[in-house]
Amino acid sequence: MEGRLANMWRLTVNESKFVETALQSELRVDGRGLYDYRKLTIKFGKEYGSSEVQLGHTHVMGFVTAQLVQPYKDRPNEGSLSIFTEFSPMADPSFEPGRPGESAVELGRIIDRGLRESRAVDTESLCVLAGKKVWSVRIDLHILDNGGNLVDAANIAALAALMTFRRPDCTVGGESNQEVIIHSLEEREPVPLIIHHLPIAFTFGFFNKGNIVVMDPTYIEEEVMCGRMTVTVNANGDICAIQKPGEEGVNQSVILHCLRLASSRAAATTKIIREEVEAYNREKSLQKVKRHPTLAKPEVSGPIVVVKEGHKMSEDEAIAAEISREYVERLNLSSVELKSSKEQEAVAASPGNFKGGPSNWDPYTEAMDVDSLKASLASRGVSVTKSTIKKKANDSGNVQKEVTGDLEMKDTAETTKHKSGEMTLKDAVKPKKKRKNKSS
Amino acid sequence: MSSKVSVSPTSLIDQIVVPGDVVLDLSNMTNQTIKLGSGLRQDSDAISAMRAGKFSYSKPNKYWVESSHKRYIPRTEDHVLGIVVDYKADNFWVDIKGPQIALLPGLAFEGATRRSIPKFEACTLLYLRVVKTNIGMNPELSGTDASGKASVFGPLKDGFMFETSTGLSRMLLSSPTCPVLEALGKKLSFEIATGLNGRVWVNAAAPRSVIIVANAIMNSETLSATQQRIMVEKLLAKISD
Repeated sequence: MEGRLANMWRLTVNESKFVETALQSELRVDGRGLYDYRKLTIKFGKEYGSSEVQLGHTHVMGFVTAQLVQPYKDRPNEGSLSIFTEFSPMADPSFEPGRPGESAVELGRIIDRGLRESRAVDTESLCVLAGKKVWSVRIDLHILDNGGNLVDAANIAALAALMTFRRPDCTVGGESNQEVIIHSLEEREPVPLIIHHLPIAFTFGFFNKGNIVVMDPTYIEEEVMCGRMTVTVNANGDICAIQKPGEEGVNQSVILHCLRLASSRAAATTKIIREEVEAYNREKSLQKVKRHPTLAKPEVSGPIVVVKEGHKMSEDEAIAAEISREYVERLNLSSVELKSSKEQEAVAASPGNFKGGPSNWDPYTEAMDVDSLKASLASRGVSVTKSTIKKKANDSGNVQKEVTGDLEMKDTAETTKHKSGEMTLKDAVKPKKKRKNKSS
Repeated sequence: MSSKVSVSPTSLIDQIVVPGDVVLDLSNMTNQTIKLGSGLRQDSDAISAMRAGKFSYSKPNKYWVESSHKRYIPRTEDHVLGIVVDYKADNFWVDIKGPQIALLPGLAFEGATRRSIPKFEACTLLYLRVVKTNIGMNPELSGTDASGKASVFGPLKDGFMFETSTGLSRMLLSSPTCPVLEALGKKLSFEIATGLNGRVWVNAAAPRSVIIVANAIMNSETLSATQQRIMVEKLLAKISD
């Protein structure tokens, strides 16, 4: 009993009196205007469908998971969406572990209503096998710190988590065409949920018998205020849900005023969420690209080696046109690459500008480098056949001539390039040798 | 453990220490009397830290670990801001953000007698002094100074109270006046009461100034002295517009 008393947070008479007197002159204890929102930051976790939302001191984590379940009998071809809340005593000493309290249930219900009744998430697309298997999406909301206005923060956390959630792709197959095969994330690109619109909750606090309306009440204000109303609207101005707990009655005009305020705010909040989600998606896709070169290199070089062998095999009876075409293609590429590599070298000479090299990170030019090296190596071996190719090419016409002319040009260019390649490789060593030579 | 002692103790002064760090070795500090403050403990010859924070030293012989917490551990002669919870058996139960409720005897006020015990409602804010902090007992508070005079102690009326960390409240009480308060005091007139338990009470004629002061103090927690001054200047400039 005594321990609980010591851990309870309580508001002093001074504070409650001050909050009210300050509001009389349209001032709020954290220096905001009456209808200002606190700073909203959204962060995402490493995995799909996890979000962390900070609204001032309020801190909420959302996590979305999905599993295949049997659908409800009355809705055989609809997936389900359920919301679970976790009020940790870490967030606020007044939250008790174990059974969810009244506020936890209310919070879950408000968000659930906003999301489900407005059909924000397309549940029909969650159906895999009508009447047998549907996806059941579960949103877990963890309150990490309570700084007031948990509903709004939790609602945004839920939306952000839903928007970044990807469920594994699955197909129906098997013997009777009734088996569901779930593909792992590596095997197939996971599928995002279909979200039609974003219902965003806005909480208003009422003071002084409903005469003073305040948006996004803080922890202290929540203790003092006499009434509360949560309005869930989307960016289009549709009202998805309204919740009005507390005893204090509110005038119709005040409600309309709140609705107007909320719908004017909704677009801005939607924009913030969408921008954050987009940034996250971009980062995710970039991560995938980064992972690519390590995988791609062996894949690219592998078949080329095979091709090379094939050429060596058919060296004697080389199909001239094919080879020449291939060379031309390669050389064209290598010439382009040559330019870029020359540029790179020039850039590399001045270390300050090194980052400016556009193809610095590009895995494909690197792969091509290996390729062209091999080509040049092979060209020594094929040199005999090459002359025949040239002859044939000469016979075949002017266009071909030009091409072979190009080929020769590029051959020389390639050798120089080869040298320059050596330069780059032994860049650090050679000058020293040169210096030594010069000094000796 | 002995390997840790190789770090010369003087080098640890004003450094960050973590629990378990041996900060002083008494074997090479003979003929010295030292006083240990909070966050330190003695294991025969080794003095080790029990809390994470800055290891501080003040001449001639005081050592302690300075740290910042959300929760307050009562210590005698600390000035704290308490909230009255209840009145039971001649004692006020007062919440001082500690692990236990503190007791404030009804007679611990200037001029209080059995017949005239002051009456405080629940949730009244009081400025008090910690008198006893015995292990296994609730800490005891007093509404008078050591000589029995009311002096600065007693109930605080009006104003606004906010909670900070213990580190910030200590900073506000530091002896060359804290830069935030100094900068604010040049432009605004306000009254402030800081408890070492991380509660600060501010009062001014206009609610506006109270809000400015409270927010400036709350923002200054992680700022350096110059940053604090700049922050306050910016804030005041914004207000005067």
